[in-house]
Amino acid sequence: MTGPTTGGHPTGRGLLARARSGGWLAALPLLVFYAVVFGGPAVMIVIGAFTVDGRPSLDNMERSLQGGYLTALLGSVRLSAVVAIAGAVLGTFLAQAVVTSRSRWLRESVLTASGVLANFGGVPLAFLWIATLGNAGVVTTTFGLDRFGWSLYNFWGLALVYLYFSVPLMVLVMTPALDGLRPQWREAALNCGATPWQFWRHVGIPVLAPSLLGGVVLLFGGAFAAYATAAAMVGATVPLVTLMIGDALSGQVLVGHQNVALALSLDMILVAGLVMAVYLPLQRRSARWLR
Amino acid sequence: MLSSRFSTRTRFAGLAAALTVAVSFTAACGSAPTEQAGGASASKAATATSAADLGGMDALIAEAKKEGELNVIALPHDWANYGEIISTFKAKYGIKINEENPDGSSSDEIAAVKSRKGQDRAPDVLDLGQTFALSGAAEGLFAPYKVATWDKLPDTMKDPNGLWYNDYGGYISIGCDAKAVGTCPKTFADLLKPEYKGKVALNGNPTKAGSAFAGVFAAALANGGSFDDIQPGLDFFKKLKEVGNFNPVETTTATVEKGETPISIDWDYVNAQYTEDFKDKGLDWQVVIPEDGKYASYYAQAINKDAPHPAAARLWMEFLFSPEGQNLYLKGFARPALLQAMEADKTVDPELLDRLPKVEGTPTFPTEEQIKKAQEVVASGWSAAVSG
Amino acid sequence: MATLTPAPAVLPDTAPGHGPGGRGRPRTVRVWRGVVLVIAALYFLVPMVTAFVFTVNVPNVGFTLDAYTQIFTVEGFVGSLSLSLGLAAATIVLVLLLLLPAMLAVRLAAPRLKPVLEVLCTLPMVVPPISFTAGISALLPWAQDVLAPTPFYQTIITIQDQRFPLILVLAYVVLALPFAYRSLDSALTAIDVRTLVEAARNCGASWPRVMLSVIVPNIRTGIAGAAFLTLALVLGEYTVARLLGYVPFPVWIVMISGSQAQVSVAVSVFSLLLTWALLLAVSSAGVRKGSES
Repeated sequence: MTGPTTGGHPTGRGLLARARSGGWLAALPLLVFYAVVFGGPAVMIVIGAFTVDGRPSLDNMERSLQGGYLTALLGSVRLSAVVAIAGAVLGTFLAQAVVTSRSRWLRESVLTASGVLANFGGVPLAFLWIATLGNAGVVTTTFGLDRFGWSLYNFWGLALVYLYFSVPLMVLVMTPALDGLRPQWREAALNCGATPWQFWRHVGIPVLAPSLLGGVVLLFGGAFAAYATAAAMVGATVPLVTLMIGDALSGQVLVGHQNVALALSLDMILVAGLVMAVYLPLQRRSARWLR
Repeated sequence: MLSSRFSTRTRFAGLAAALTVAVSFTAACGSAPTEQAGGASASKAATATSAADLGGMDALIAEAKKEGELNVIALPHDWANYGEIISTFKAKYGIKINEENPDGSSSDEIAAVKSRKGQDRAPDVLDLGQTFALSGAAEGLFAPYKVATWDKLPDTMKDPNGLWYNDYGGYISIGCDAKAVGTCPKTFADLLKPEYKGKVALNGNPTKAGSAFAGVFAAALANGGSFDDIQPGLDFFKKLKEVGNFNPVETTTATVEKGETPISIDWDYVNAQYTEDFKDKGLDWQVVIPEDGKYASYYAQAINKDAPHPAAARLWMEFLFSPEGQNLYLKGFARPALLQAMEADKTVDPELLDRLPKVEGTPTFPTEEQIKKAQEVVASGWSAAVSG
Repeated sequence: MATLTPAPAVLPDTAPGHGPGGRGRPRTVRVWRGVVLVIAALYFLVPMVTAFVFTVNVPNVGFTLDAYTQIFTVEGFVGSLSLSLGLAAATIVLVLLLLLPAMLAVRLAAPRLKPVLEVLCTLPMVVPPISFTAGISALLPWAQDVLAPTPFYQTIITIQDQRFPLILVLAYVVLALPFAYRSLDSALTAIDVRTLVEAARNCGASWPRVMLSVIVPNIRTGIAGAAFLTLALVLGEYTVARLLGYVPFPVWIVMISGSQAQVSVAVSVFSLLLTWALLLAVSSAGVRKGSES
């Protein structure tokens, strides 16, 4: 079926033109699906966010960016940023340690365990840490940590707990990328007289950059949207926007505050949009290096 | 060649799309039924406002048995003895009970009613916090119904049209593990003592959990506040945090047993249940209703207007408000709404009555307006109070 | 684990540092690796062990496995677990069917779609599940009312069917997109998609043939990775299912814990171990398949 017009030249204009139109078609099922299943609820969130007593209004959005809500939003951003960066660094080190080991057993078990723990959270995770480092926790009492004024129930304690699902996620993201870092590159660099630090700085990290950035964004999103663990462990002592949303949407106290909660949800989506707006150009730049 | 390749690609995409659509169509096709399934007798039960409307209790029981099922939601087994209530009802009438989301909240219940309108999965009966009962009634979600013992319910404990009715309630109490703590606190003032550092916890956030909100209200009453002024309650917890006694962990049976939350402010029936549960586990859980801050609240029952099993729903209500049902609540350390009437009738079980945590006086309740105002104050002030 | 690595070039797996850089380096690397692994082990295992000890050490009774045996005696174990596995399978299939053509299209023909795809596949991670569910709960009754006179009404009802709620599959696909996208993306990056497709098309392969016989086998590890991550997600997803009123495995596991402290912690430990076992099974199946090719 091959004809003269189907020359293998990748820049053959005819082939590309036909492929381009087909490209959009092939992506169509995903786009349509997304528009309905994610877009639908998202539209309902937007509608709710801009409705007060059945009438369109900016009230909810304004309220959601003031006072306690603003503190909560900023608190969430701060916590997510800390967890994302710490998790990215620690996760990458752990991934590297696993990737460079010769033990297949270690690799398998760490990667599967990462898959499990990346989805672990909520009240059980909170209890794990309360039992270990809480005021009456095993480690706390064994080492007498309360004498040093240790408390798990603050911003840093929560960040420590959030790492429990963030580091595994980073391991999952970085392992394929680290595998793709060919050993020959390192050998070549060393042959040219580079120190390991120089190798990482000029070869390793730039090559890993797209995956690193992607991982940071993923970790940020995960920490940003987390809710049940914080609710069970620190309550409102650490102001977080998801707690406010959960209180209003699924509680026993606040009646009729749904729309403010939806406005807060919209705020979260906007923050995510900002993060993506910063991330995408960075990612494009770093990926260009690989071409 | 060109055209065939084009059409292959298009064909493939089109085939995929067609397949997806075809599958969804064959799986489910058909517009809404124009008539509700059931027939004359079902709709009769759906609009019955008392057992008399259906021809008496026996007719109601027969109708309910015909329906055969009841959908309940957010009824934990260890909360006010719902576990035994459910199994007793099942055994007595042979009606299957579909339990959903036992740790759900009142807003989850209302959301379920709204989002599953017209489906078989919709909840039939609801057990709601007072404010949700009021708002749900205002939104027209409930069916009016007056149980056989309707007249015995105090007027303050029911909606005049029968849309909701209080079933059980309790006071805010301080539960404490005497083995771990030594001397247990007896009042809100006691809670500030330095020996309780890091030990005092609530059952959640007052912006979300009903008992925690009530705890703040009780603290307000203990510190010079009133039903109109909940701010002293917020100030109390701020002080509690400042002296280091406040433990932000949400109390659960696991945290209590582990010893992380040896002092818990919660409903008296919840704390009293802990005493039972932990007797064999080495904890000496004592329950005290603080003299300086007495705050009581009742939950309310309501029937979903579009209940898929209307007769079973009404039978459930009759059961809950019969002496048998109310005594079962009492067995779970909750104060039944019909308590006064039952004491007069001597239908109350005196042994169970004796086990209730002691309290003086009769409870007074804030009005809907006062509660709304308090909620706003807590919603905007709680985070600032405890995160400082 | 082979399932997550892109198909590497055929070269011996030499650990970095084994070059002419010096003998000392391998030892430093080993020490550093050991330190990292020990710290990670402490961090992840100590809380687990603490929780496990709590479940088997009942005060006044001593060591007992009661909390775990109770899990199996409560009804609903098999039902909820098979529901979760079924939902996971359906989610995996749907995710792959939707993502693969789109990602290929982006690489081959519509590079401008790439940022769009990136955003779409990261957004679900930022929306808290509770808001997403609130949106769904608001959408469903509205859709029911609007679609009542059309044949689509029954579709909306069927996807909410108790026995196999397709609505959960749809929600899970959205939640799984970020993970699946990253996995497939790194796999597709590692192979030269353009050249492969050009070569196959030159040999006269139709598009379906290209997909099935050329692309898929080469990104087998990426697909297995996406499947693996989706399975883990579905077995751990709790909020959406609970709020919509269904009882797959994670929801059932919280429901049965009730008021008993040991059982409630035991069920989480158990569910973690079970998920881990299932994932190990999936990944070793992937390894075996990989080594056969």
